[in-house]
Amino acid sequence: MDWNATLEFARGPFFRVALIIFIAGMTYRLARVLFLGWSRDKVPSNGSKLAGVVKTYLKALLILPFIPWVKNTFNKNAVTYLAGGIFHLGLFVIIFFGTAHMLVWKSLLGFGWATVSYPVVDWLAAITIISMLALLVNRFVNPVSKMISGAAEYLNWLVVFLPMITGYIMAHHLWFRYETLFSLHMIAVDVLLIWIPFSRISHFVFYFFSRTIHGAQFGKRAVTP
Amino acid sequence: MPEETIYRRLINNGVSRRGFLKFCGVVAGAMGLESLPPLVKSGLPKSLNKVKTDPVGYVAKALKSKPRVPVIWLEFSDCAGCTEALARSSSPTVVNLVLNAISIEYHETLSAAAGFQAEEAKRQAMKKYYGKYLLVVEGSVPLADGGAYCTIGGKSAIDLLKEAAAGAAAIVSTGNCAAFGGLPKADPNPTNAEGIWKLVTDKPVMNIPGCPAIPEVFTGTLAQFLVFGALPELDSLNRPKTFYGNTIHDRCLRRPFYEAGKFALSFDDEGARQGWCLYKLGCKGPTTYNACATMKWQGGLSFPVQSGHPCIGCSQPDFWDGGGFYQGQSAPLSRPTVATVGAAAAVGAVVGAGLSAANRAKKKTEKE
Repeated sequence: MDWNATLEFARGPFFRVALIIFIAGMTYRLARVLFLGWSRDKVPSNGSKLAGVVKTYLKALLILPFIPWVKNTFNKNAVTYLAGGIFHLGLFVIIFFGTAHMLVWKSLLGFGWATVSYPVVDWLAAITIISMLALLVNRFVNPVSKMISGAAEYLNWLVVFLPMITGYIMAHHLWFRYETLFSLHMIAVDVLLIWIPFSRISHFVFYFFSRTIHGAQFGKRAVTP
Repeated sequence: MPEETIYRRLINNGVSRRGFLKFCGVVAGAMGLESLPPLVKSGLPKSLNKVKTDPVGYVAKALKSKPRVPVIWLEFSDCAGCTEALARSSSPTVVNLVLNAISIEYHETLSAAAGFQAEEAKRQAMKKYYGKYLLVVEGSVPLADGGAYCTIGGKSAIDLLKEAAAGAAAIVSTGNCAAFGGLPKADPNPTNAEGIWKLVTDKPVMNIPGCPAIPEVFTGTLAQFLVFGALPELDSLNRPKTFYGNTIHDRCLRRPFYEAGKFALSFDDEGARQGWCLYKLGCKGPTTYNACATMKWQGGLSFPVQSGHPCIGCSQPDFWDGGGFYQGQSAPLSRPTVATVGAAAAVGAVVGAGLSAANRAKKKTEKE
């Protein structure tokens, strides 16, 4: 098999099409959510909406990750909480501050930024992969997680895990030729891009919508978010 | 009359026996022949093994008993850069001996004869050595408009190639153009240029890509053909594994900086002066298979990455279209335009809104 041709396809036309599907899919989802409409909030205003939004983000970014026991999830299912947190942090750093990934952003956006040094990203990637495995095992072991996990959840896990593991093996030049792993990594990423809008992985955008809306509602009611 | 052996020819040309053995050593070195692993592994008795694992002796034996291999060298859509690299090679001993004393029969750039004389010489050589000669091709073959974009002596490149390939024992494509189409094949490929291995399928074709091909790699492979009488082991792109087994990245002297995450960000920053990794400046080393990092150029003086320029991947197919030379390797090869992104976003929004409206209307009628 000619992996060079596969790589050219996965980095070229397939990536372009995947990106277009991703963008169209995300705006489609956004339109569907917005057109659901929501009922007018008739509660009299007791406080600032903006303050509520700011507070909810501060809590989500500064308090919940560092003082876990205020969150019910931690008390009920620590693995989901800890491994989930590490996984999200790792993914964020890898995607935005890994050197190779920053170069992708640079080519798409026209500007780049400083990156985190390779050994740090590398260790984080290893920890992230371990977290993902822990989360998968947890889904099988924890009765509640098991009950609420269906085919879609396992598929979501898989389409995120494949880019992670192929990228890790590629970065370490293990077992296969570089272009083989590079091709598989790019194909996995392209599949992920296409899959995101039609799955719950789209929470990476919609999370911020719900946080903002709920924060504003809490703020208006002057309750601690 | 038996054909004159390589050894006899060299001796007749004034090479001493000592000189001949030296030459055998150089040839063995050029082939990367430290020992003969296939023979060692074959399970022969040790006494035999001992003799045959001495590469110089083996080469000497082969050159003493074998007749010279005639080479016919054709040039099509090329820049003669591979020939120039060979002719100006820093190891003229090997190149001269391999090309002139041992083999070359017809070569458009190096030939003293010109015009019909040269064509006649080629025709005669092809007739005389039918089925035995090695055909070396430099440059791609343009196929568009009946091959009108490259003709020699009134014949199109594709016809010349077919004619010469018919009587060849094997074909060697030197340089990226002959191997994979190279610059003439770069998008939009106006002349419909193609590499030789896609055009000749009934003969063994070996690719020695590069821009130009490394002279020592070329002569080394040629020497291997002389000694063993067959093409060496090839990879999936028909390149000899001896020289194309590792990536530039694998053997790069800047590799430790890659591992440490130390990258030059421009050609004159502190990182560039310190000799840090050129990955961020668009180095294609990780996907490029060639011997630059080990054999180097100019007699082992340096190679592009050592001199401060990222690898452009010139031994890989379609490297001209592999993204910009200074664009990071991880960057996608093609990006949607802003207009396409806008259109995609608009289509998504309109379909979403349309479906929502339709659902709402449906609910309304159901209520009524």
